Amino acid sequence: MAAVEEYDPMVDDEEEEITQEDAWAVISSFFEEKGLVRQQLDSFDEFIQNTLQEIVDESAHIEVRSESQHKPGPGQHSDFQETIYKISFGQIYLSKPTFTEQHGDVRPLLPKDARLRNLTYSASLYVDVKETIIKKGNNCEEVSEPEPLGKVNIGSVPIMLRSSYCTLYQMSEEDLTDRGECPYDQGGYFIINGSEKVLIAQEKMSTNHVYVFKKRQPNKYAYVAEVRSMAESQNRPPSSMFVRMLSRASAKGGSSAQYIRATLPYIRTEIPIVIVFRALGFVADKDILEHICYDFSDTQMMELLRPSLEEAFVIQNQQVALDYIGKRGSTVGVTKEKRIKYAKEILQREMLPHVGMGEYCETKKAYYFGYIIHRLLLCALGRRPEDDRDHYGNKRLDLAGPLLGGLFRMLFRKLQRDVRARVQKCVDNGQAVNLYNIIIAKTITSGLKYSLATGNWGQANAAGTRAGVSQVLNRLTYASTLSHLRRLNSPIGREGKLAKPRQLHNSQWGMMCPAETPEGQACGLVKNLALMVYVTVGSAANPILEFLEEWSTENFEEISPAVIAQATKIFVNGCWVGIHRSPDLLVKTLRQLRRQVDVNTEVGVVRDIRLRELRLYTDYGRCSRPLFIVENQRLLIKKKDIRALQQRESPDEGGWHELVANGYIEYVDTEEEETTMISMTINDLVTARLNPEEAYSENYTHCEIHPSLILGVCASIIPFPDHNQSPRNTYQSAMGKQAMGIYVTNYQLRMDTLAYVLYYPQKPLVTTRAMEHLHFRQLPAGINAIVAISCYSGYNQEDSVIMNQSSIDRGFFRSLFFRSYRDEEKRMGTLIKEEFGRPNRDNTMGMRHGSYDKLDDDGLAPPGTRCSGEDVIIGKTSPIAQDESSQGQPSRYTRRDHSTSLRHSESGMVDQVLLTTNADGLRFVKVRIRSVRIPQIGDKFSSRHGQKGTVGMTYTQEDMPWTVEGITPDIIVNPHAIPSRMTIGQLIECIMGKVAAHVGKEGDATPFTDVTVDNISRALHKCGYQMRGFETMYNGHTGRRLTAMIFLGPTYYQRLKHMVDDKIHSRARGPVQILTRQPAEGRSRDGGLRFGEMERDCMIAHGAAHFLKERLFDQSDAYSVHVCERCGLIAIANLKKNSFECRGCKNKTDIVQVRIPYACKLLFQELMAMAIAPRMLTKDIKTTKVQKKKVV
Amino acid sequence: MGKRKSRAKPPPKKRMDKLDTVFSCPFCNHGSSVECRIDMKNLIGEAVCGICQENFSMTINALTEPVDVYSKWIDECERVNNQEEDDAA
Repeated sequence: MAAVEEYDPMVDDEEEEITQEDAWAVISSFFEEKGLVRQQLDSFDEFIQNTLQEIVDESAHIEVRSESQHKPGPGQHSDFQETIYKISFGQIYLSKPTFTEQHGDVRPLLPKDARLRNLTYSASLYVDVKETIIKKGNNCEEVSEPEPLGKVNIGSVPIMLRSSYCTLYQMSEEDLTDRGECPYDQGGYFIINGSEKVLIAQEKMSTNHVYVFKKRQPNKYAYVAEVRSMAESQNRPPSSMFVRMLSRASAKGGSSAQYIRATLPYIRTEIPIVIVFRALGFVADKDILEHICYDFSDTQMMELLRPSLEEAFVIQNQQVALDYIGKRGSTVGVTKEKRIKYAKEILQREMLPHVGMGEYCETKKAYYFGYIIHRLLLCALGRRPEDDRDHYGNKRLDLAGPLLGGLFRMLFRKLQRDVRARVQKCVDNGQAVNLYNIIIAKTITSGLKYSLATGNWGQANAAGTRAGVSQVLNRLTYASTLSHLRRLNSPIGREGKLAKPRQLHNSQWGMMCPAETPEGQACGLVKNLALMVYVTVGSAANPILEFLEEWSTENFEEISPAVIAQATKIFVNGCWVGIHRSPDLLVKTLRQLRRQVDVNTEVGVVRDIRLRELRLYTDYGRCSRPLFIVENQRLLIKKKDIRALQQRESPDEGGWHELVANGYIEYVDTEEEETTMISMTINDLVTARLNPEEAYSENYTHCEIHPSLILGVCASIIPFPDHNQSPRNTYQSAMGKQAMGIYVTNYQLRMDTLAYVLYYPQKPLVTTRAMEHLHFRQLPAGINAIVAISCYSGYNQEDSVIMNQSSIDRGFFRSLFFRSYRDEEKRMGTLIKEEFGRPNRDNTMGMRHGSYDKLDDDGLAPPGTRCSGEDVIIGKTSPIAQDESSQGQPSRYTRRDHSTSLRHSESGMVDQVLLTTNADGLRFVKVRIRSVRIPQIGDKFSSRHGQKGTVGMTYTQEDMPWTVEGITPDIIVNPHAIPSRMTIGQLIECIMGKVAAHVGKEGDATPFTDVTVDNISRALHKCGYQMRGFETMYNGHTGRRLTAMIFLGPTYYQRLKHMVDDKIHSRARGPVQILTRQPAEGRSRDGGLRFGEMERDCMIAHGAAHFLKERLFDQSDAYSVHVCERCGLIAIANLKKNSFECRGCKNKTDIVQVRIPYACKLLFQELMAMAIAPRMLTKDIKTTKVQKKKVV
Repeated sequence: MGKRKSRAKPPPKKRMDKLDTVFSCPFCNHGSSVECRIDMKNLIGEAVCGICQENFSMTINALTEPVDVYSKWIDECERVNNQEEDDAA
């Protein structure tokens, strides 16, 4: 009895602990608060709220002095000799997104209008401008400050949808629907000229970080330490420094000592490290060694430094060292003082700028430089491994904010330069300066728009621009949109053979989706964020530095180098700020404060015990993810917190931020993750408590919220991905983006160029928990089809499937296809303008082949008109000037046709017509065509396991096999699709689907849970089925029982966008290219099928010469030329008059017809234009030889 | 079989400039007439102008490179010039 009583509190205790199931409440609160594109929104908000103002503030004032003008004639002499004009920019203001109509009205702009009217969703940026005029006389000075100008428009900034400056920010679902928006749309993109643009996150190496690499021998160098240093908020490219240790055996044979040398910016050779120290003012050997080695009893390291000391023995004071460096700078042949000054400047401003760029930074720089060498030596001594370039802690992500920030900084500087030049001009000419006319908003407006519209990041046609940064948002299906908004690119050459950067790295756990990456060239370089990643936006380092100061961090002025060996070095954003003697306490307090949100939660605290370092990070672009905090093998979050979470009335109270603020959860970045011990599941913690000897660890610091959150958007849709071979998950991640479904709820209000919508989309019977947050139930992309795995007639070989025609007739996988055509009344010059209208055959030139009957009087096909290939749907003409036609009687034609006709291979019904004006105030029309696509042989379908196939045969229901219950499958897949591909997940999905359908509940197929096949089978058995999902079936054609039992059940299938009707193509004769007269290319132009190099090789191998000639000549660009037999050049031929002539040879008789390709004729003519005579000799060559012999 | 020409490669990255070994002569001002000889055995460095035959020599050490010799020559010229100016004054 007593024992039981003792046990009781323990049981209570355990009950208070949360279970894995409770973690989903936490996850729900995360997505409820953050949504799915938080990184984009946070990053943009940071740009608008802080970066913009910082960029304006960091710019220097514009100061313009009048330059004396030498104008002839009597000038007006003023009393003042010199005028100084000062302009400074102050506070910035951003309006709500607006649009200025052509007639001058400024109206608030809604995203819907921007999309429909091809406008840009942007807000005007205003800035306070202060001008000061100083007039200097001979002996007087007059300072005048005119009325403050107030806000001046300096341009407009595209606004990210759903960011805090967007009109839709925090709008209710109802309001969103009223404004024509989809409530499930997450924003995170821009609208530029009506098209939705995403900024793809760009991966880069982190700066201000020492990397040490071992060089592969034979090489001149054995080890290299590398730092790419960039001072904070600086636009300059990082200044890199290399410190290299020579190999013992030099590359050219022979041996040398292991000297250590460093590169300095703008210095043309490597400088021995000791000389750098001496130039910094540390002359004595002891001083230098102290900065590198810290511990003089470390003889190994001291020994490695000996050669370097000996090498620099000849340079023994600062001036000589500076001179040594200065002589190797960019200018030679200057005096000693200048050289020394130059070297000093390089050391101060260019070397390691992140440590300091002002005066008296020498001590700090020497310590940091010493530290770089220290790290190099540690690696050289084999005490530490070389650094890993691919570790994700060494990567930073440039999101929309920093990308736009860089662009804006560049454009703002350009604006300032322009303003300065214009003010200078005004001042020089003695005109009044009107800043409203001088500050031209277009610089920034069009600069930002250009980069966002084209994806070329940087100025137009300038070097060093990156392409493909901004992409058109993929709207094929909802999941593809979400995935696109969470995409990330590493700008490494795609041709690069190196496999390392493409491979999945351990440190990407929980940050990058392990399955979702494209196949082929970009494999592993394009990544997608995992579901619960938070990318830091950056916070100020100052609070951290102040905290460190308070908590007795000793900086370099206070310490002697001797104590460094015993203390812990403290780095903030890669910059060594000081040392601390009790790091345990410091780290503990820092973490405590971070958990209390007294220190920003995104600050990274990394304690490297072995290196005796404490690295703190506040910079932007680090990947971090939330984890449960564990203390004493217990989660700090308890059952009551979950209950509170579940029982709260409105989403505003409590929620995720409260969990973070209460210190139950913290964000851990990739580098800090290395210093933690994370338990995979909550059960692991229970094991650690109850049977410590079986547990993996006894000192967990954190716990995963749920292991399935390592997946990204597309992989989270796969049921049982943990039962599939991994490439199959990658294939499905790519295919899920081509599935049809409902891509947004407002698709009827949008005029997308292409859109696919599925008729009766269903939510899947077998789901994952993450789907809930991806809104896959609300916006599904597939149907729960009854799938049998069987050969059944064999019309499903090689990845084809048999489909039930009766199901198709009932609407199975029917879909809509929308295509929008657009046109505008362009203005040509000031007077001529194109006009919509029905072209008249009597007066219009160049009319199309198709029918113009579908057009109304306004020149547009009205909604509901059925139209097919080449029918004209937008009629447009432009006037032609009369005098351009031949003189004499006026031409019959007064107008030229510019109509748009339907694509020749498509047909459909006019769905909607939008007639409006665009940004230039021109009449502008969009016409949407709708067509219904019914599944047919050749259309592509796939399950959610990378099992794609086309329809090979359709059978009506009576020909399909049936079960005892009379069920016939919708799809029959060939069994050969399974064993080699090992997509066991699909089989489990099928039996779980069967259970789910019977029980009337959704099946849970979340990966990494304790659901087993046996459990599902048992449940299926209880429903009265064969437990493994097999069924006895009867042949539909014969009525006989099939000998084998068939695996049958509901499986979620997707209809992919590739359909035969969009691909079918054949041609016998058809259009040719104008230049070469070879057949045109591509289906859209009714082009020919290419008889390529390999096909040619094949025919040569067969010796099929005539066939080859037919393909390459007769069926391509056969042409006849007439050649003069005397000169071998092309002669003049008039076949109608039957007259032939070579004027050069005065020859009218000896002319032959030669058949050559038109391309060959072109070549000859081009050669002739270059004064090369290609002669076609048709007679026996012997004659020419004989002639030659005669000459000899 | 004829391989099709692939897209033109981007120009190779600019390497760090090498240190000069020829210089302009302080006497005849010819652009690249001064060459430096470095005699490590006798520790003597000599700069000679190939045009006007002016020369300069100095003692050197292991770290000396042509620029060092040339710079020293320039310094020396400077010193002499200043001295003359001082004398003149």
